Parts: sequence; structure tokens; C-alpha cells
Amino acid sequence: MSIIADIPVSLIVLCSGLGLILIGLWGMLTQRNMIRMIVGFSLTDTGIHMVMVSIGYVTGGTAPIINDAVPMAEAASRIVDPVPSALVLTAIVIGLGVTAVMLSFAVRIYKARKTLMIDECTESKW
Amino acid sequence: MVSTLINDVLLQPLGIYVIALGAGFLVPLFNRAHRGSAILVFLAALAAMVAISGINLIAIMNGAAPVDIETAGIAPPFSINLRFGLYEGGFVLAVNTAAILAALHLLPLLKQHASALLLYLILVMGINGMIMTRDLFNLFIFIEITSIATYALIGIERTGSVLAAGFKYIIATSIASSFFLLGTIFIYYQAGTLNIDDIIAHRHLVQGPVGFIACLFVLTSLLIELKPYPANGWGLDVYETAPSGIASLISVGVSAGVFFAVYKILPLMADYMNSIALIGGITFLVSNVIGLKQINVKRLLGYSSIGQMGLLTLALALLLQLDASSLLPLIVGGLFINHLLAKAGLFWLAGIINRSDIHDWSAIAQRPGLLFLLGTLIAALIGLPPFPGFWAKWQLVMLLADGGEYAWISLLLVGSLLEAAYLFRWFSHARAADENHANISVNFWQTTPVFIAALLLFGTGYGMSTVMHFNATYMFLPIVAGFVLLLIDGVHGRLKDLPMLVIVAAGGYWLTRDLEGINRLFSYLLIGGGLLVSIAAMYRNDARKGFYPLLAILLLSLATLLHSKTSLEFFFSWELMTLSSYLLVTLGREGVKPGLRYLLFSLGSAYFIFTGFAVHYAATGSIEIASLGASGDTMGLVFSLLAIGFVIKMGGFGVHVWLPDAYAESNDDFTAILSAVISKAGVFGLIIVAANLGVRSDIGLDPAYVLGWIGILTATFGALMAVFQEDIKRLVAYSSMGQLGYIVTGIALMSHLGWVSALYMTVNHFLFKGILFLSIAGIILRTNERLMYKMGGLIKNMPVTFVFTMIAIIAMSGVPPLTGFGGKWMLFNALMDKGWHWIAALAFFSSAVAFLYMFRLLQTVFLGQRKLEHRELREAPIILLVPQFVMIVAIMIISAYPKLLLDPLSVAIDPWLANTLVWNGAALQTHYGYWNAPMIMMVVGGVWMVPLILLLLMSLTFRIQKVEQFNIVYAAERPNRPEDTHFAYNFFAHYDRALGFLVRPRATAFWNTVVEWSHTLGSTLRVFYNGNGQTYALFILIYFVAMFLLNGGLGQ
Amino acid sequence: MIKRLFIFMMLLLLALIFFKLASNYTENTQLSKLGQYYAEKGPQELGAPNLVTAVVVTYRGLDTLGEVTVLFISAAGVGLLLRRTRRKQDDEDLEQGDRAEETAGVHKPASEIVETATELLLPMVILFGIYVFLNGHLSPGGGFQGGAIIASGTMFLLLALPESHISRLLIATIESLSGFSYVVVGVLGVILAGGFLDNRIMDLGTYGSLFSAGAIPLIYVFVGLKVGFELSAVLDRFRKEDTGPL
Repeated sequence: MSIIADIPVSLIVLCSGLGLILIGLWGMLTQRNMIRMIVGFSLTDTGIHMVMVSIGYVTGGTAPIINDAVPMAEAASRIVDPVPSALVLTAIVIGLGVTAVMLSFAVRIYKARKTLMIDECTESKW
Repeated sequence: MVSTLINDVLLQPLGIYVIALGAGFLVPLFNRAHRGSAILVFLAALAAMVAISGINLIAIMNGAAPVDIETAGIAPPFSINLRFGLYEGGFVLAVNTAAILAALHLLPLLKQHASALLLYLILVMGINGMIMTRDLFNLFIFIEITSIATYALIGIERTGSVLAAGFKYIIATSIASSFFLLGTIFIYYQAGTLNIDDIIAHRHLVQGPVGFIACLFVLTSLLIELKPYPANGWGLDVYETAPSGIASLISVGVSAGVFFAVYKILPLMADYMNSIALIGGITFLVSNVIGLKQINVKRLLGYSSIGQMGLLTLALALLLQLDASSLLPLIVGGLFINHLLAKAGLFWLAGIINRSDIHDWSAIAQRPGLLFLLGTLIAALIGLPPFPGFWAKWQLVMLLADGGEYAWISLLLVGSLLEAAYLFRWFSHARAADENHANISVNFWQTTPVFIAALLLFGTGYGMSTVMHFNATYMFLPIVAGFVLLLIDGVHGRLKDLPMLVIVAAGGYWLTRDLEGINRLFSYLLIGGGLLVSIAAMYRNDARKGFYPLLAILLLSLATLLHSKTSLEFFFSWELMTLSSYLLVTLGREGVKPGLRYLLFSLGSAYFIFTGFAVHYAATGSIEIASLGASGDTMGLVFSLLAIGFVIKMGGFGVHVWLPDAYAESNDDFTAILSAVISKAGVFGLIIVAANLGVRSDIGLDPAYVLGWIGILTATFGALMAVFQEDIKRLVAYSSMGQLGYIVTGIALMSHLGWVSALYMTVNHFLFKGILFLSIAGIILRTNERLMYKMGGLIKNMPVTFVFTMIAIIAMSGVPPLTGFGGKWMLFNALMDKGWHWIAALAFFSSAVAFLYMFRLLQTVFLGQRKLEHRELREAPIILLVPQFVMIVAIMIISAYPKLLLDPLSVAIDPWLANTLVWNGAALQTHYGYWNAPMIMMVVGGVWMVPLILLLLMSLTFRIQKVEQFNIVYAAERPNRPEDTHFAYNFFAHYDRALGFLVRPRATAFWNTVVEWSHTLGSTLRVFYNGNGQTYALFILIYFVAMFLLNGGLGQ
Repeated sequence: MIKRLFIFMMLLLLALIFFKLASNYTENTQLSKLGQYYAEKGPQELGAPNLVTAVVVTYRGLDTLGEVTVLFISAAGVGLLLRRTRRKQDDEDLEQGDRAEETAGVHKPASEIVETATELLLPMVILFGIYVFLNGHLSPGGGFQGGAIIASGTMFLLLALPESHISRLLIATIESLSGFSYVVVGVLGVILAGGFLDNRIMDLGTYGSLFSAGAIPLIYVFVGLKVGFELSAVLDRFRKEDTGPL
């Protein structure tokens, strides 16, 4: 119990994030169904967001909102880094945009081909 | 406020974003109001982006400071900033220009959907952002903006194959950008900043395993976006299937953005420089090998695109490694602009013609305008002059040689040659008329973007030449002349010859008026001789589209070749000559395929010459031709490389396989020019090299001795192969190859007598080959045949041609009294002097062999029985006979008074080799005897005249019985093939049994094997492109892991 | 199978790389250079208590504009890809696919409870979304979060009442105008204040009050509206009954 408690919280998030990336990649590389590949991508994406958040963590820090709870004078020593939080916000939206386009491709491929299997879409090659 | 708006926002680089986004957001509303207004807004926005980037770039080029756009009113690194400096400006302007042209090309497709319009605008803006931003995370955003817009536009047509390709593309690029994001956040973790300049300033913070991996992720994901081999199948699929305008934008625009991003972060990647160069190099080479197998036009362009990006990456890494970043604009900029315009233009053209298989491109065989565009763009892409790629490649190779990077030079040149092979093969298919393919009709306006791209290539090529202090006024004359003649190309065929002759004469005189010595001699031969033979071109009265402009370029490029003072000028003229003569060969009946072979061997020869010049530059730091002799230790290497190059061009033994077909299939009058004039360019090159290098005592004689053997083997085998030809043009073509072999040997002797004999034979070769090929042109014109056994007895119809041919053959054969004798006599003397006895023996043998084919030519064509259908033939047209007559006169004069020619030759050689000619009155004296030409002339003349007079007298006094024709009786046997019973068919069958084993086409078989193996290699290397998106994704993963392992990640 | 093994090995090697990252990671004990600057100067400079918002809207405003653009183009892209096939225009296969699609699944209507609850909750969801983006500079949240909440309301509506109609014109107009206004506000930053997207074109106001932090609330209104409507549009286009071009 104490061993786990000694591990910094951000490291746990970081490792989970990295693990999620690997799981997502596994999905993208082994699942022939495009929808599942897209799910894999989402997992990878989420994993990266977790890594980003963990990077911004400062030991014992709190949310970077400077109000009554965190007076301005103490701000620099009490808050977590606001930058990764801002970046992750952007990254989430971008991931969403990519996923939406991916899904519409999948929908269209299904309409044209009646299949969602990636290995049945190999007519362009060599 | 309005003026602030205009001056501080809209005219600034920031305006690009404001306009693109503003217009992009509003396009849907405009579209709802009125479809046309949306299109107008779209085009206006693109035009404004071009204008803004142009205005700002010009300002910077005129000395204004680079523009730094700070956002949020806070200084970086605490806010995001964008930079518009010289390099950024150049890239942005190029991309925006390509984008507006691509938009014009795509407009019919784009205007159907308002969302396509806005996606396109924002795609272009995203590329601008990738180039300008100085913030690592902001770079990620712009990459994503560009990517998403690209995804959507790829899918615009929604056919199954393009959607599948698009999905693979999305999977691949999203994996890459995921890693980019991961790398970025870890760089932030270590450096505490996202501003690229700030990170570079604090790069010591980015260290240890975390810094190593972070940089690895960022760099590798950007490289992946550039589609390195083998992790690029996803890109190829999209190039193949996407609409051509979109594919062009991905190829030149998106790649440009990513490439610039790589450039930006390179200061962080010092450890990875070797990997980057390697990736670029492998990608360039392998894509071009695989391209050989490709017959789908757009996929072909895909391979070429990927190869070009590899080349750019390679050049970038090498330049930084060699500490030559001042050359970035010239080399990387030049290669980039070249790729951008040429590749985009080709994609658009592919879209307009809309034939996916290169074999179907014969649809444009009858469309000179389209062919001109296709040829221009392909030539530019290969890096032929005068296009930007030529200058960039020249500078790059010189730089690499200076740095001792010869492995990279070979890779660069081999890759370029391969690229030339498949691109010009495509062009060949487009050139080849095929009745099965209906001509396509193309709207003129459709081709406008392509046309503008081609014009810009000429313009930027000219611009780069001035940057390189190139004497463009002289050197661009051939091209200008070509364009002038192109303007009157619609006129009736015959009328165009005269302006061509006038322009070439004037231009040739102007270019060569100050020349001295050997150059002066060759100017008479190449320009004067070229003009003389070109007069004969008037014998044809068809339109001959493109013939005269190309001929003018060719002849004037010979003049610039002679005028060249530097190796750059020499190489420029050489390549121009290669290109124009190639195009002229393709104008022949079946000239397309032999033309391609001719071009590839010529380019190979040019690249040897190129490398030779590069080695010379590395040794001396000079590109003056006069300083070739100062190459020091590398002299032998320079000599060998240049000599190999020139020998290939002259059709030397083993590398002659291009020659017979190219000569045989060209237009008949052009064959005369090719053989009589163009082949002398190789002689000129060889003698220049020999003069500056070969005669030096410190070079060691070995390369010259080898050259002597090559020359004599060429002579022997040329003669042997000529013996067994049935086709009259092929016979004379092989003969031409053989005769040039003697000249090579003469030069290789490196003695005064050897050179005099070589130059003498050069002049002689010009004269008799000019006559022979022009005679043959007349014969073919009348008989419409090239096979000799289908002719015979033509002496009755074409007596003048017969006499001319006979004199030419005597002049060639080396029997007294005509010119050939002197050449052979001097050559044998020089060979004996030097002690090259075996070579002398072979020379003697091959001269004897030459008699066989010469005899056959005369016998089977002019003597014997006349064919029924040839009864009514007339003499060759007078315009063909006039130049021949002039040359006959020249032969006679030189035969009688060789001193007239030998004295100037001797004087020209004097600066290098002291005169050893000893004249005793009219007789030339050597150790072995003397040669008194006027005396011989008189004696032989007498020997001829006596029997002639006797015969004439006899014919007057006796009744001569004429032999009946057609009295052959077949003994109840009907021949299957008529030629079997013809005496002239397989004329030398008996010799074939004795010597035939020597002439089996081994060289051709060898080169065919080379081609076959390259294709097999191509098939092997492309196994990774199995079409499965997951395999492609896996390769991306492998790339990351491999980069990690190769750069010692385990030890970190 | 061999391929799977190979993939597994590659991922194992990648895991090794990740392990090297994680094992060399030490948690930050102090803010990065940027974080420090924002923490110390941010509140005075921009007047926004929520530093994440200050970073998102102003310090890294260009990112956010880009992010809005990303959403805009992915909505446009989805619209382009999922536009209704016009007959004769695409190839036969596609046609058959479409027809088969159209005759397939007919929705079972939602129960009355769900419908009523939707009608009751929807305004509240939207109101909450608006609250979130209006208070973005003060409390956790902001334009994107608010917009996402609004879109979740749309999602709700589409699930419960699949037949409901969402006006394309309304979406397109709000999308376009809010995006354009965002750019205009950004340009005003150059003219009236320090640079593109500077929020100090308006009075910073009283620190911590609703109408403060210069243009941040204004920008967040545009962003919120844009995100809300764009996400709604994306959701709407994924409906099987998707109709008409954009």
C-alpha cells in the first residue's frame, strides 16, 4: 500500500496514458474493421491527452484559477502549469475533428463497398 | 482606422490568415446568397494571399527586415509568433502561386460544393501557417488544419478507391501526428517553452533519454509526413486516386509545409543529421527504381514526388552537414521551386488528359501544344537546362564533390537517370502516334495553369542563371531562337528552313566570332557544316512541326558549346544539345523508342562528364575549362570520367547500342546532321579534354592507352556489324560508329601526328557521312525502302546520286587518291611511332572489313537488276544534291591539296603538342615514307582516265549486247520469301560463318539485362505496398522503432 | 499470425521506448518558465482569473483560432463527405448502396417519458452551456466546454426525437458569423491594442466579475456558439436521414 502511495500521482497518469496509447495502436494495427480502428485511434488520442495533463502537474498543485482560493501572491507556487491544460483542450478538439472525418470516410466506404474491412480495400497498390 | 487595417493587417503577412479565415468563414453565407459570389470571394482571397506574400517577399529582398508577427500583444516566447523572412517568404509565395493555379485547374470540381471552396482556402492557409509559425504546438495545429482539410478534399469525389486511399492516408498521418504531439509535450516538459527559437536557445535542456526520445518523435513524425520509403504506401494511393488538383497540392504544397517544418526544427536534431540524409537518399533512389515499373500516370507522379521530396531532404541535410547554409536558397530553393512547378503542372496535365495508363497517352501525339507542355515539365523535373533544377543540381554536385561526398553524387545521378527513364518513357508514349487512340480535344483554358507553370519554370530558370553569374545573354540564345521559330511553326514546311538558316547563321557567327584554335576549327565544322547539311531539310514539303525550332536550338547549342569558357557553360550547352537532339530523333518515323534509348545513354554520358567536372572543381576550386590541367592528383580520374562521357556520346564499343536505331529511325536528313555534325561534338569534347589533361606528362599514360583500345575496338566492331546489315541506314550508322572509333584512337595517341590524323579524319568523316546520308535520304525518298535487297540498279534512275555516293565511299574507304587515304596513312604512321602495334594491326583489319560493306552498299543499291516498280524513279531533288555537291568539291580539293587543311589543323594543335609535320614540297614526310597527295591524285586520275577513254571508244565502235532482265527460272520451286532468292539478301552469309560470332548482339543483350534487373529490383522493392492500410500503419511504427534503434536509443 | 506477432514485437519495442520515457520522468516541483510567467503576470495583464482561459484565448490565441478552424473544416468536411448522392452523378454501385440504405432501418419512436424529459431538460442543458462559456474566464470551463454542452443537448434531441428538424440555414449563419466575428475581434487587437487577438481592446474591468478580462468573454461567446452549432451540425449530418448539400 505504501509503495503505491509513494508513486507520484502524475506518473500513474502518465503510465496509464502511455499504456492507452499502446492499446490504441494495437487496435489500429490488428482490427480489420475500420470502426474499430477508429476506436483505436480515439484510445491513442486519449492516451496522449492523459500524458499531456500529467506533464503539467506540479507536486501539490491546484487548479490554475487565481481567486479567493489561490491568492495572486502565492499563485506561482500553488498552481499546476496552465499551459498543458490549454494545449490538451486544443488537442481534444483536434482529435474530435479527425475522428469525425474518419467516421464519415468509414460511412462512405461502407456505402460504396458494403464492407468495413480495411484489407478489402486494397485495389491501389504497388 | 481603415488605413491601419490595410497597412498593419491586410498588407502584412498576417493578412494571409485574416483574409483566408475571414473569407473561409463567410464562403457558406455567400454561397447561400449567390453561388457565383462565393467563387469570386474564393478566388479573390487566393489572389490576395499571393499578392501579400509577393509584396512582402519583394520588400525583404530589397533589404527590409524580416517580419515577425507577434500575437496577443505579448512578446514571445509567452505568446505565439509567426515569422516571414526570406526563406519563409519564398516558400509561401511559391505555395500560394501553385495553390491559385491548382484552384483554377480544380474550379469545375470545387465550385460544385461551397464547403470544398472553404476547405481549399483553409488548406492553403494551413500550409502558410506551417511555414511561418515559430511555435512548436502551433505548428501541430497548422499541420492538423492542413491534414483535415486535405482528408476532406481527397474524399470529394467519393468513389470507392479514393475513399479507401483516403482512409489509409488518415490513419497513417494521424499516427504520425500523434507522435508529434507526444514529442512536443515532452520537449515542453524539458525546455519549459514551446517557442522554437527559445527551445533552440535552450537546447541543452532537451537532453537525456527523454530529450532524445522527444526529438526523435517530433522529427520522425515530420519525416513520415514527407513519405519516406517504405512507410509511404498511403501517400502513393492518394496520389493515384485523388483528383489531380488535390494530388498536386499534396505533392507540392503540403509537402512544402512539412519540409519547411523539418528545416525549422533541424537545429535541435544535430544527432540525427546522418539519419535524415540517409532517409532522404534511400527514398530518392528507391522511389525512382520502383517508378520504372509504374504505368499508371498519377502513381508514377506519386513516385516521382516522393523521390523529389527525398532529394530535397537529402540536400537539406547534406548542406547543413557541409556547413554550406548560404547555398540553401540556391540548391534547396532551386530544387523546391523546380519540383513545385513541374510536378504540379504534370499533375494538372494528367488531370486534363485524364488517361491513367501511360500507353493511352498517344491520344496527345497530334497535339504539339500539349506535347510541348509535357516535355517542358518533364525536362524541368529531370533537371535539364535551363530550368531551376539544373542550376540547383549543378551547385549541389559541385558542393558534394568539394566535400568529398562521391557516394552521394553517384546516388543523386543514378536516381536522376532512373527518373529520366520513366518520365521520358511516359513522354515517348505520348509522342507515339497510334491510330487506335482517338485524339482528345482539350479546351485551351484548361491548360492555362499548366502553361503558366511552364512559363514560370523558364522564368525562374533564367533568374537562377543570373544569380549564378552565368553569361545568360550568350547561353540562352539557342532557347530564344527556338521560341522565335516556334512562333512561325505554323507556316508551310519548306518556308521555315530559310529563317532557321538565317537565325542560326547570325547567332552562330555572333557566338563564335571571337574563337581561336581548335574551337575556331570546330565552329566551321559544326556551325558551317550544320548549316550546309540543314539546307537539305528543304527537300521535304510537309509541315514538320517542331523540327526547325529544335534544329535551331541544337545547332546554336553547339555554338554555345564552343563558346563555353567554364564547365558550367559547357555542361549547360551539352545538356541542351542532348535534349534537342533527342526530341529531333523522336520526330522520325519510328523514332520514339530509339530516341528514348538515345536520351538515356546521352544523359548517362552527360552525368559522367558532370562528375568529371565536379572532381575537377573539388581539386581546383575553379570551373574554368582552361584550368582542367591543374587538377593535380585527380587528373587521371577527371580525364577518365570525361573521356567515358564523350565516348558514350560517340557510340563507343559496348555503349553503342543506342546508336544504330537512333540513326536509322531519325528523319533521313536529320540522320545526316546527327552523324556528320552532332557526333563531332563528342570529338570536340574529347580533344578539349585531351588537350588540357591527356597530353600532360604527369597524368600517366594508362587512361589514354585504354582509350586507344576502346577506339580501335569500336572501329573493328562497327565495321563488322555494318557488314551484316540489310537496312541501308543501319549499315551507314554502324559505319559511322566505326569511323569515329579511329578518331578516338587518333586522339588517344596524344601525339601531334595522332591528333592531326584525328582532326583530319573528323573533317573527312563530316564530308563523306554528310554525302552518304543525304544520298540515302534521296534514295529513301524515291524508293520508300530502306532494305537494300529491295533496291538495285538505281544507277539508271539516279546517276548523280550514284556518283556522289561512290566518291563518298572512296573517300571513306581510305584508298588513294581521295581524303580517306591520308587519314589512314597518318594514323598508321602515328600508331607505329607510338609503338601501338596491336592497335595498328586491328586498324588495318577493320579497314579491310570496311571494304566489304562499302562494296555492298554500292553494289546492291545502284548496280545489278532494277526492280520493276523502280522503273519510273527520278533523280533525287536538287536541294538534296546541292549540299552534297559542295562537299564533293571539298573532298576533291582536300584530296589534291591536303596541306590546305593540315596546316590550320597543325597550328590549332600547336599550343599543346609541338608540330612534327615535315613537309617536303607537297609531300608529307615521316619515318616510314612520304605522302604526296597531288602526285597520287594525278597518278590515280591517269589510271582511271585511260580505261575510261578506252571503254568509251569501245562502246562507240562495237555493238554492245544488253543482258535481259528477269530471266531467272525457278526450277519448279516457288520461294516462300522473295528475299531468299535475291542475291543481295544476306549478302555476306559466308563471312557470317567465319566472323558472325563476333557480332552477335552481346552489348544489347547486356543492356537489356541491366534494364530487366532494374525492373526486378523495382518489383522487389515495392512488395511493401500491398494496399493494406494496416501494413502501411505498421511501417510507420517500424520507422519510429528503427530510428530509435539506429540512433543508439538503447544506449541512451 | 506471423504478422500479429510482428506487430506485437513492434509494440513491445515501442513500450520499451515509453518505458524509457516514464522511468526518466520526475514530477515537476515547480512551474515551467511559461507557467511561472502566466501565474505571475497573467491576472494583471489580461484580467482573467482562470489562467487556462487566459492562455487559451490570448497568450495562445492563435492556437485557439486554429482550433476553431479545425472544428469548422471538419464540420465542412463531414458535410462534404456525407452530402446526399445526387442521382446520375456517382457510379452505379454507390447508387445501389444508397437505396439499400434508405429502405433499411426505420426508427422505433422513443417513449413518451423520454420525449417529455427531453423537452423539459433541453433548455436547461443549453442554458448551462451558455453559462459555462460566459464564465470561462472566471471558473473552469469556456467556449469549447460550453459549446460541447450545447451540442450534447442536440445529441439528446436527436436521440429522443429523431424526426426533429435542425435548420441548416441557422447553423450555417451562426457558424459563419461567429467565426468571422472572431477574426474581426482578432484584427481589432492589432488596431486598438498590442497585436492580433489581444484581448485588451476592451476595458479589463473589475477583476473577477462577469464583464471583465477585456474581450475574453466576447471571444468565448463566439467560440461557444460556433462550437455548439458546429458539433450539432456534425451530429446532424451523421443521422441516416441526412439530406441535402451544405
